[in-house]
Amino acid sequence: MITPGQPTPGSTRSLGQLVAELNRLPGVGPKSAQRIAYHIAQIPAEEARGLAEAIIAVKDVLLFCAECRNLTDASPCDICANPQRNRDQICVVEDPRDLVALERTRAYRGLYHVLHGVLSPLNGVGPEDIHLPQLFARLDGASDPLQEVIIATNPTLEGDATADFIQRRLSGSGVTITHLARGLPVGGTLEFADDTTLTRALSGRSPLE
Amino acid sequence: MTQPRTYRAVGLTLRKRLAGEADVIATMLTREHGKLDVLARGARRLTSKLMGHFEPLTLLRVAVARGRALDVISEAEVITAFQSVKTGYQTTARALYVAELVDGFSAESNANPALFDLTLQTLNAIAEQPMSDLPLRHFDLRLLDLSGFLPELYCCIDCGAELEPERHRYAAGAGGTLCPDCAPPDTLIRPLSLPALKVLRLLHRTAQPAGLPSLNIPAAVQNEVHSALSATLQYWLDRPVQSQRFLDATKSA
Repeated sequence: MITPGQPTPGSTRSLGQLVAELNRLPGVGPKSAQRIAYHIAQIPAEEARGLAEAIIAVKDVLLFCAECRNLTDASPCDICANPQRNRDQICVVEDPRDLVALERTRAYRGLYHVLHGVLSPLNGVGPEDIHLPQLFARLDGASDPLQEVIIATNPTLEGDATADFIQRRLSGSGVTITHLARGLPVGGTLEFADDTTLTRALSGRSPLE
Repeated sequence: MTQPRTYRAVGLTLRKRLAGEADVIATMLTREHGKLDVLARGARRLTSKLMGHFEPLTLLRVAVARGRALDVISEAEVITAFQSVKTGYQTTARALYVAELVDGFSAESNANPALFDLTLQTLNAIAEQPMSDLPLRHFDLRLLDLSGFLPELYCCIDCGAELEPERHRYAAGAGGTLCPDCAPPDTLIRPLSLPALKVLRLLHRTAQPAGLPSLNIPAAVQNEVHSALSATLQYWLDRPVQSQRFLDATKSA
């Protein structure tokens, strides 16, 4: 039985400490933590130092972009500072990883706003606990005329609640509010699709061109 | 006698949490087996046949295989996703309030068909009356009743004397109403008006939310009823109700 923080028989205090720290990372269980710790113990010192310095650099350098709240090394971030981006479109995403996924498509050339979470009644996460006030302040104080806010929250119960909150707050502002299309995924099958997905796929059907 | 390796159930997803690369662990309230934690393998993959089935507040027919740590979903079919309670963040939060309390007051693998029925009836009532608080207060009191924590509403909980009109108070920690002469030690006692007591008794007498009469209850009385029930729920739950905090925080938004 591996107990994080306690050196197991045959192990050492420093290895036990490393196992405990690794075990706190998401998706890393005690067995994986032990495997990684022993791997680190066996790699060359400079490789281990490089890993440690990369972790420290992330914490020292990384900050929120003052405009879009994405994680960046310098504010404003590369996207917000890029004059080639459409400044009349803002895409609202839950997480920096969602921004990366959208950028990978190369299909969107506007700006972003990263919420760093979603409204979650079950976890007591309200509008003030994520970067919603910053979004509304940004939209209220926008110097460039804004045409469209694209809500790209995940199609989950909490993502939809967040989208509804934003839509209600911005209704009447004159800005077009859209959200990503919902429906069947590429490679999916109708037979196993849930009712909500099928309903949305039907209501969002489009003419074949 | 050994248990069968698989079983079937009809259940409502109360909450979900993400596990591993693409799995979901769902907490479900089932009619047949009470509250269950089940593992839906790969349910977050876009091409999974279980994708989208385990969002909270979805009523499912499931086939489950018994596992060592967690039982594993082998098949799932959506009966209803309660789309009409998911049309806005406020109705969603109201429905999640129901789910959070059911989760908090239910014991694992302890079937309570009456609570299962009450939960579905309340979700339907929220769909029909999205902004009415009365179905939620009815749910609060019936939940306490079905969980064995029904507060006393007719007698003094301390001396047992029948309550006289206008001469009663309420103490969540003591278990209900008190006469003016009794004051159990270390108990927070709050005033309770006669109209508020009458509303509580009406909620107790009404078996289903669909049977609630159409009432025009003054806001002050509604607040009093809410406050008494909220204190009772929190007393037994021993923690704040997160979705209530969310509802309070977004009321003025």
